[in-house]
Amino acid sequence: MASESGATAVVLDPKSDMQSSVPKLGANSSLSEEGLELNDGTGEGEESVQPNVDQGVAVPAGPARPADDEILLQENSIKAEEAGKMEFIGDKEPLSALAAEYERGNEVFKAKIQKLGETYGSIRRTRGDGNCFFRGFMFAYLERLLHSQDKTELPRMRDRIERCKQELIAIGYTPFTFEDFLEIFMDQLESVLPEEGQPISLSELEVRCRDPNVSNWAVMFFRFVTSAEVQRRAEFFEPFILGLTNLDVKKFCQTSVEPMGEESDHVHITALTDALGIPVRIVYLDRSGGASDDALEINHHDFVPESAPESFKPDTSGLLTLLYRPGHYDILYSL
Amino acid sequence: MAQANHVQTDIPRSPNAKSRVGMEAKPVDSHSVARRLQSELMSLMTSGDAGISAFPEGDNIFNWVGTIKGSVGTVYEGLNYKLSLKFPTDYPFKAPMVRFETPCFHPNVDQYGNICLDILKDKWSAVYNVRTILLSIQSLLGEPNNDSPLNGYAAALWPNQEEYKVVLQKKFRETESGGVSS
Repeated sequence: MASESGATAVVLDPKSDMQSSVPKLGANSSLSEEGLELNDGTGEGEESVQPNVDQGVAVPAGPARPADDEILLQENSIKAEEAGKMEFIGDKEPLSALAAEYERGNEVFKAKIQKLGETYGSIRRTRGDGNCFFRGFMFAYLERLLHSQDKTELPRMRDRIERCKQELIAIGYTPFTFEDFLEIFMDQLESVLPEEGQPISLSELEVRCRDPNVSNWAVMFFRFVTSAEVQRRAEFFEPFILGLTNLDVKKFCQTSVEPMGEESDHVHITALTDALGIPVRIVYLDRSGGASDDALEINHHDFVPESAPESFKPDTSGLLTLLYRPGHYDILYSL
Repeated sequence: MAQANHVQTDIPRSPNAKSRVGMEAKPVDSHSVARRLQSELMSLMTSGDAGISAFPEGDNIFNWVGTIKGSVGTVYEGLNYKLSLKFPTDYPFKAPMVRFETPCFHPNVDQYGNICLDILKDKWSAVYNVRTILLSIQSLLGEPNNDSPLNGYAAALWPNQEEYKVVLQKKFRETESGGVSS
């Protein structure tokens, strides 16, 4: 029942248009990135960061028109500015820190955060650079293993990654384009679950997950895995992708999965959790419902792959949980 | 101040970089990019793709010269173009800067050789490599995106392939005679 596919095909993807081709300008960039209902007193640091424009991309002297390179440079400087405000992964904070953000904000949000406090005790923020789902997911996963020391996870994940690797090769990716990314992720996994010796400390894990030379590589690893899974099950994902964008599966992967900074939604999360066999709960903080509504519900969705090991499943303390606010994911911790 | 040159050695690519090969104490960061580019070179040399080639220029692995042959069955058939590829130190997270060195009459190439191709700009991702870049540019030659041209004249002329070919051949000969002479 391809119901009126003509209608969906016309729907453009305003998100990717906005994100990619329009150079974002200074002060509003974090708003457009995260779309949050922030009041002004969020206490973000002053904008003391010098735009970092030495990314090795020289601006051609010749052409007078604003070259694409200049636009890219500007985007880079905006990213650098963002970077000064927020680490890839923040410190663990009490949930009251989240409430403080909305002190003078939307009533529904305030009511929901209070309700959230009945289940969750802390939050760990991530940088809103479009990679926040992957960074949050990685940190939550590695932190969980650091605590559980579940040694069965290492061989299980090795096996999974080997399958992903075969899949990537099968759909035509050259091994040297993904092996380094994969290796960096495995390095991190092995250091929280060492086969011999002591695991790294939590603060060392934080340091690593804040290091672009680790975090960006791991994010790219997840992007490869997600893309491979979406392409492997193209028939399954196609209707969802067509509903969101006017792109075919391959093009969707090329433009919305593989490039750094492209935000994740249902399709990405389903694909990644299935491919790796790691469930995740997404708790939605949005404006649905009314503030005075006694039965105010906080929606959540559990992504539970069939093959997931018991220790990560919902109703266990091992379930990874992320808080979603329009356009952004942070990590949540149960009480 | 004398330390400045060594500053990169202090930035390990990974805290756990078990110094993969373990032999060098080179700057790990640019070393890994160089290693990646070496793999690319090997792969290009063994893949034997028709009509594309690329090689580092001199002994700087970060600057390459590439060539593209126009595909058979397109107006570019029989024409050879030289390109330059400059790789940033954070390649493959950032795209290389690619431009035509041989002047190229094409809707998506400007007079300076700049190329308008999404995968080289905002849709770049680390899944691409030199081979896929060159193949993409090769196919762009025969399938321009006429909606957002850098060369409006070429875009307007494109629908008339016969006339386009005449102008293209003329312009190509001009550049040849300007250089090596034929």
